[in-house]
Amino acid sequence: MTAGLADKAVAIFWRDLLTSFRYRNGFVISAIAALGELAAFYYLARAVGPGYRPQGTDYFLFLLVGTGFFSCFVGTMNAFVRVVQDAQQSGTLEVLMTTSTPGLVVLILSALSTMTNNILQFLFYLAAGLLLFGTSLGSIHVPACVVVLALSAIIAAATGILAAAVQLAFQKGSALVWLFGSSAWLLTGTLFPVEVLPRPVRFLSDLVPLTHCLNAIRPVLLRGASLAVVSPEIEILAVLALALVPLFGGIFTWTLDQARQQGTLSFY
Amino acid sequence: MQGIVLDSVSKIFGRPRILGRLARTLAKTETYALRDVSFAMPAGKVLVLLGPNGSGKTTTLKLLSTIFFPDNGSVLVNGWDTRQDAGQVRKQISIAISSERSFYPRLTARENLEFFASLDDVPRRTRKQRIEAALQRTDLAELRDVQIMKFSSGMHQRLALARALMKQPSAVLLDEPTRSLDPGATARYWELIRDLPASGTSVVLASHNFEEAIAVGDSVAILQRGELIFYESTDGLNAERLKSLYADLTEVSRFRDELVEAAS
Repeated sequence: MTAGLADKAVAIFWRDLLTSFRYRNGFVISAIAALGELAAFYYLARAVGPGYRPQGTDYFLFLLVGTGFFSCFVGTMNAFVRVVQDAQQSGTLEVLMTTSTPGLVVLILSALSTMTNNILQFLFYLAAGLLLFGTSLGSIHVPACVVVLALSAIIAAATGILAAAVQLAFQKGSALVWLFGSSAWLLTGTLFPVEVLPRPVRFLSDLVPLTHCLNAIRPVLLRGASLAVVSPEIEILAVLALALVPLFGGIFTWTLDQARQQGTLSFY
Repeated sequence: MQGIVLDSVSKIFGRPRILGRLARTLAKTETYALRDVSFAMPAGKVLVLLGPNGSGKTTTLKLLSTIFFPDNGSVLVNGWDTRQDAGQVRKQISIAISSERSFYPRLTARENLEFFASLDDVPRRTRKQRIEAALQRTDLAELRDVQIMKFSSGMHQRLALARALMKQPSAVLLDEPTRSLDPGATARYWELIRDLPASGTSVVLASHNFEEAIAVGDSVAILQRGELIFYESTDGLNAERLKSLYADLTEVSRFRDELVEAAS
């Protein structure tokens, strides 16, 4: 019996776990940075005052969910770029691309452990925010939460695959993530509700998948909204997930073939 | 056909991606890494590629391993086209690149091999056994649990061979495999390579070492500026004769006297 997909996923997860463990100082630094960020948002919310309640909720909780989810989404995109970037810089890319496992599968499995890590960090970030600053979420609708998180993870992965293709083609995938991240601060309602934006800009905002992810996750986490309540956003997310994964997966595979043709596979 | 076939293969770097012929004429950035190279090598043989730096040896290995696709012509491994049937080809080949940077430095030798074994579909039930055998054959068994960031260049090269052998491929591609090895390790490495054809494994090896070419090769090919200028059996050849031939055929001919003198 040949090694299956699960076996490969475990092998990659194990590699990443061992490597992280042997670089464990990085984890401590990330945790300290997250706590600093939380404190900044807490005092920002206090400075703004209790009168400001975007979408009917406490501003600190609005920021907590928005920024935590934003980091999770962009972090997932970045994970895909880093898979290619690290392999280019460490010199393992050429060898990985001559194994029996297709390039797209190597990419997705390699980013999977970072994606899992990002979701755990998001939950840790929420929990730390709630515990440290003595506040609480409403009653969370767990099935709706799972569905929104899963669809958002798939969409983030799809956009990450596109960014990885850009990294492979132009060695500038991180620039695409940076561009997405910068415009997402403005367009997606991470720090403030998109309703305050001018109408033409709101049209652009609707085109960014992260806007719909946030529109779905905030009511679910902060107001206990059910699947039925957020179904319009879930439908949009489902369509995006179904369309973007094959589209961007195809683009990555095509780019990989082009890199083999151009002889630029290991360029960085 | 079982074995390796290159049919009129060219590999061109720096070819503009857009505007086709016009851009090529204007840019003049194209470099032929290989130009119209053809040869057929039966399975279970060892071919040594010789040639000056930049002659196309590594490019040939990368074309065989699907790291590169050819611009013209076709590359076949056991009848599979490296472009059309790349997945099939990857199941049958292993490449040991001369770079040290093709492993995960914080993992041990064993952990690195376990990782690549999984990606290469080495069956779980034989994986440990194959990894252990590969480590034994490359004299790395005692270093199996050492993080490879502590390895020397020579150890990395042996580990790259262990990774290639563990897969039990039908063709092994080696890029200057003994460049950093001491004489004892080199002799052991040559012995290993000579044993591979007995199990039907083909070997293509890029080298600058004439003794190596004679010691392990069934055939030798000389490349220069991407062109195949010599392809013969090593029967009746010795290192001296090969050096002399090489000096006559390649651009180093102006250094021929020094080369032959250095050899003797």
